[in-house]
Amino acid sequence: MEIFLNIVSAALISIFVQNLIFERALGVNVLLYASRKKEHLFGFSGAIAYTTTVSAAIVWIFDTFLGENEYYRIIMPLIYILIVAVVYIGTLALIWRFLPKAFRALKKYVHLSVFNCSVIGALFLASQQGSDIFSYLGYGLGTGIGFLLAAYLLYTAAGRLNSPLVPAAFRGYPGMIVYVGILSLAFYAFTGYSTSVI
Amino acid sequence: MENRIDLKDGLIKQNMVFMSGMLTAPIIACTTTLTKSLAVCFVFSVVSFFAILLCRLIPRTIVYTLRVTLYTIAAAVFYIPAIMLAELIFGTSVIQAAGVYLPVLITNQLILSKTETRFYLEPAGKMTADVLVFVIGFDISCTATGICRELLAFGTIGGAEVPILFTVPAMETTFGGFLFVGIGAGLFRAVYNYRKSRAEEPEEEDSLAEYAEDMGEFLVGKHSRAEKEKIKIYRAAAKKTKNVNELLDMEFLSNRDVLEAFEAIIAEGQEMVGEKSAEETEQADPEAAPAEAEIPSAEDGTDVPKEDGNGDIS
Repeated sequence: MEIFLNIVSAALISIFVQNLIFERALGVNVLLYASRKKEHLFGFSGAIAYTTTVSAAIVWIFDTFLGENEYYRIIMPLIYILIVAVVYIGTLALIWRFLPKAFRALKKYVHLSVFNCSVIGALFLASQQGSDIFSYLGYGLGTGIGFLLAAYLLYTAAGRLNSPLVPAAFRGYPGMIVYVGILSLAFYAFTGYSTSVI
Repeated sequence: MENRIDLKDGLIKQNMVFMSGMLTAPIIACTTTLTKSLAVCFVFSVVSFFAILLCRLIPRTIVYTLRVTLYTIAAAVFYIPAIMLAELIFGTSVIQAAGVYLPVLITNQLILSKTETRFYLEPAGKMTADVLVFVIGFDISCTATGICRELLAFGTIGGAEVPILFTVPAMETTFGGFLFVGIGAGLFRAVYNYRKSRAEEPEEEDSLAEYAEDMGEFLVGKHSRAEKEKIKIYRAAAKKTKNVNELLDMEFLSNRDVLEAFEAIIAEGQEMVGEKSAEETEQADPEAAPAEAEIPSAEDGTDVPKEDGNGDIS
């Protein structure tokens, strides 16, 4: 029960209190892309959740055994990227072997959903704030759900933000960023007024 | 191959921060002071420039789905000397204050996407200059953002006090960053559009067609398809797109994947080109028909609006 609560609390924190998009702005460019089509919402979010969750478990092992090394923080990005790459290639190989139809659909954007700021950023944040493997897993899972929430909120507004009613210069990317900023302000209420930006 | 790529694109037309939004996380959340923005610029420049040069050497016979992993690994390798140098130059406290926003630079879309969709199209020398321009474009935007936000949030520039009437503490926060970048991008595009209209540059749909033609030529080179037919289809696809989102997608879905991602548009464009060509064959001399005549008309109202190119072209 304690394990379950650890995972759930870490996930809830990463969804609402430290949402990767609204609180950290990590993966915004991917969010803009994912929110264009409904089918992308779940594809991107699922890929991010899966990659961060599985990678976080492996990252925890490295953090536990190498965390005390003085050079570890310098080589962390390389190690994390190698972990993500192994998870990515291994998973794709399995899907290619057993679910070729799904592979054809996934390969169009799977690289974009795996190699982006949100995945690598989530691993770093899990490393900074996670205490045990369950909090790492919860943080990884929550990252994907938090991304889905952000992408859905943006998707529902995308039509209006791209409408001719919006001034031409603000249509698309600038309008969407301002909109995410307003949502970010709303989410800021979850953290109160004492959290630091970083 | 005739290459229409403009070396100045990275500074303004495809500016990574204010036009295409290819790298926004560090700008929005981290560049709250000039010092931090300079640290971001330094790490980004070293990592991106050298990683892209190295990535060009990676054989294209490896499928992109796997090649992208090599790109990020190359960037992560260059991150090590970059962060060590940054610590020497800016001090450990600044690097630590930048938090996770320096490591995430290894997955920036300049390396992962532009290498595929743009830099591979160019000869080595031109590519080096082009990468440099993109890097400088980002650095200028990042530094300017750092200066403005520090001034607005703290009333200082680089730690030195500046006498201003009021401060906006929210500029230090993430949502302040979102608002700053969003409004900045809108104003940047408005100025760009104004200057463009004053200079009487070609209309956006022409740029779209050129872009599509470049991409068409690129794909023809990779897939040995009939050049004219392919370019014709891409021109039709470019005209069909409503707000160039489909063309923007090509920035992310590259190489062979582009073909599949564009399958629907190509099929539609092909049909329309076929219909149009058939009509022209009946009505006029087919050999004398200009290229524009092959582009489908906007019967369904989905043609590229003239004012739409401002914001959505990256």
